[in-house]
Amino acid sequence: MIDFARVQKELQECSRDMEASGIKVTPKSDNLARLTGTIPGPISSPYEGGTFQIDITLPDGYPFEPPKMQFATKVWHPNISSQSGAICLDILKDQWSPALTLKTALLSVQALLSAPEPDDPQDAVVAQQYLRDHQTFVGTARYWTETFAKTSSLGVEEKVQKLVEMGFPEALARSALESVGGDENLALEKLCSG
Amino acid sequence: MEGEEDYGFSEEEDYYYADDGDSHDGLADNDDSALQWAPPKGSTTKVITKESLLAAQREDLRRVMELLSLKEHHARTLLIHYRWDVEKLLAVLVEKGKSCLFTEAGVTVVENVDDDAPLSSSSTITCDICIEDASADTATRMECGHCFCNNCWTEHFIIKINEGQSRRIQCMAHRCSAICDEAIVRNLVSRRHPNLAEKFDRFLLESYIEDNKMVKWCPSIPHCGKAIRVEEDEFCEVECSCGLQFCFSCLSEAHSPCSCLMWERWSKKCHDESETVNWITVHTKPCPKCYKPVEKNGGCNLVSCICGQSFCWVCGGATGRDHTWSRIAGHSCGRYKEDREKQTERAKRDLYRYMHYHNRFKAHTDSFKLESKLKESILDKVSVAEERELRLKDFSWVTNGLNRLFRSRRVLSYSYPFAFYMFGEEFFKDEMTDEEREIKKNLFEDQQQQLESNVEKLSMSLEEPFQQFSQDKVMDIRMRVINLSVTIDTLCQKMYECIESDLLGSLHLGTHHIAPYKSKGIERASELSSCWNTKLGSTDEYLPSGGTSEHDRPSGSGSSDDSGCSYRKRAKKEGGGFFDLNLPAEIVDRN
Repeated sequence: MIDFARVQKELQECSRDMEASGIKVTPKSDNLARLTGTIPGPISSPYEGGTFQIDITLPDGYPFEPPKMQFATKVWHPNISSQSGAICLDILKDQWSPALTLKTALLSVQALLSAPEPDDPQDAVVAQQYLRDHQTFVGTARYWTETFAKTSSLGVEEKVQKLVEMGFPEALARSALESVGGDENLALEKLCSG
Repeated sequence: MEGEEDYGFSEEEDYYYADDGDSHDGLADNDDSALQWAPPKGSTTKVITKESLLAAQREDLRRVMELLSLKEHHARTLLIHYRWDVEKLLAVLVEKGKSCLFTEAGVTVVENVDDDAPLSSSSTITCDICIEDASADTATRMECGHCFCNNCWTEHFIIKINEGQSRRIQCMAHRCSAICDEAIVRNLVSRRHPNLAEKFDRFLLESYIEDNKMVKWCPSIPHCGKAIRVEEDEFCEVECSCGLQFCFSCLSEAHSPCSCLMWERWSKKCHDESETVNWITVHTKPCPKCYKPVEKNGGCNLVSCICGQSFCWVCGGATGRDHTWSRIAGHSCGRYKEDREKQTERAKRDLYRYMHYHNRFKAHTDSFKLESKLKESILDKVSVAEERELRLKDFSWVTNGLNRLFRSRRVLSYSYPFAFYMFGEEFFKDEMTDEEREIKKNLFEDQQQQLESNVEKLSMSLEEPFQQFSQDKVMDIRMRVINLSVTIDTLCQKMYECIESDLLGSLHLGTHHIAPYKSKGIERASELSSCWNTKLGSTDEYLPSGGTSEHDRPSGSGSSDDSGCSYRKRAKKEGGGFFDLNLPAEIVDRN
């Protein structure tokens, strides 16, 4: 059986220093076996500024068995499936230790975002791109962050619309946005210079 | 990232597994005294039963315990990590030093026992797992120094045991790779699940079989519950005490002089339909309408399928029925299709080649079966002859001759699949030129034929009704059987020498190993003595009072006997079987 007393304590501990860590864990329902984790994209990475949601399912043996974690937010990263959000991280598998917590596991996931391991990929396509064409990788990752991990800012369609209104052709505006990772100011710069 | 340094871990384990190991696990040849007639080295192959499993690993454990002055559970952890390869373990010790050896295997040796001091019974600790307070007597500190409450430890152990991880239960602390003390695991788990604790003990013990390339379970079905341990060479054939003979390397039936790879291909080839498919390609054509294969059983080139469709046998195209002997109305197909022709030729050649070898293989295997049945009646003849008032009382030459017959039949049968692959294109196409292949093939076939004719002669001689013969004629046939036996033994040896030095030995590919020829037949594994203390737990004090340590054993000597071709004379065993001093030593007369 899941040790719910411990999960409860973990949640308290987590909400206590949420300000400092930026990591949030909230139960999806009353039974605490399904939760949602939220992590901010790490600074100076293509994921900066994004907020990523992670589905957490606790197995019966928790904390003696690792929690199951999966990205609910789409993310472009060599160790995370761009299709399913599955995460390839050792501590979520054989290197799990009962001394780890949901918070420490989420911190590791956050660390994974800033330090990909393309040699042990979950998503081969992304890993290839990361190794062979890093520039494009960074662009795509930033674009995905912009598109899927930023709920508050304008949607891509709106940005395209904005640039079109400025007088740029739609296709050109869209590709410019994509190449700079969705930042409308950079895209404008690019369109003006090119 | 935190996790990087541990990624290499499992690769290391594979590395040790894959590495070769001349494991001298120094067993005591206790039971050899009962088999005085055997060569001094005795049967180095041992049967390990449930009862002797602990005794079997005792020598390895003791060696490691003594060399590194360790407790038994530490020695076991080390040996499990290094897959019971003591030599490998020692090599790592010499190369990287003691602390590295221990760290890699997850062994933590507490230098200072006072570490336990802060855990006095009055104090309490907070368990980092359940985040509850626990009094010191309900918590346990592992040798690595990490302390958690007993409930959490137990839960952790239960999950690991059920996951099949009994042999490597690591500490619960993050990134601590120390292996938990087996006594603590046993103690805590048995309080809640005595059955699971027993399972844990069995998993630990069976590591000696599961993780050790020199020990394997007997492949008998239904399983006899025994395991076999070999010394030095894992490419050999053994006989379990349950009577099953098998190839130790691939666990299928004994197949020397075929290599394991050859045997695997051959038995697959014999079982599946690939050759049937070949036959169909050569002898049939698919009907253009219903696609069933159609065989032409004579007549002109207009064939009609049972579905009613007519077609041209030459090109396979659909036609009408109107035709003469040489022409089909409205149809012409003079064009030569080279590819198809070549393919058919090739398939036909391969099929005939396979049939050639398979027929001979099968003929000898069948003879072997028939002769095994004959054994009874021949032994009856011996008892009849023994009743008679003959000057010759000793009929051991019959049994010895029979055994020689069985052994050489075996060699002969399996020499055909060997030849099929040795001189075929599947494995060694680019290893030799066609001329070389032809020369080697002739060389081998000459030997094979010589052996074959002598084996047939021996078979015939043994079938003669010698129990009715006169004294002189019996002496004659006895001499013939003895001479043939010696000749056949020599021929078998020569054939193996030829295979090892001229055929396989000259190749660059080292993937084909064959079990060496044993003149005495497949060696029967001897029982391992289980008289040692088999109780777990009380074993830390175990220290032998001299006797069978590694240094006392004659090492290096007797390796020349390994080929099993010893012509050593030996004392006649009291009350036992048939012996003939003119013949190589026989192990036992197997019923």
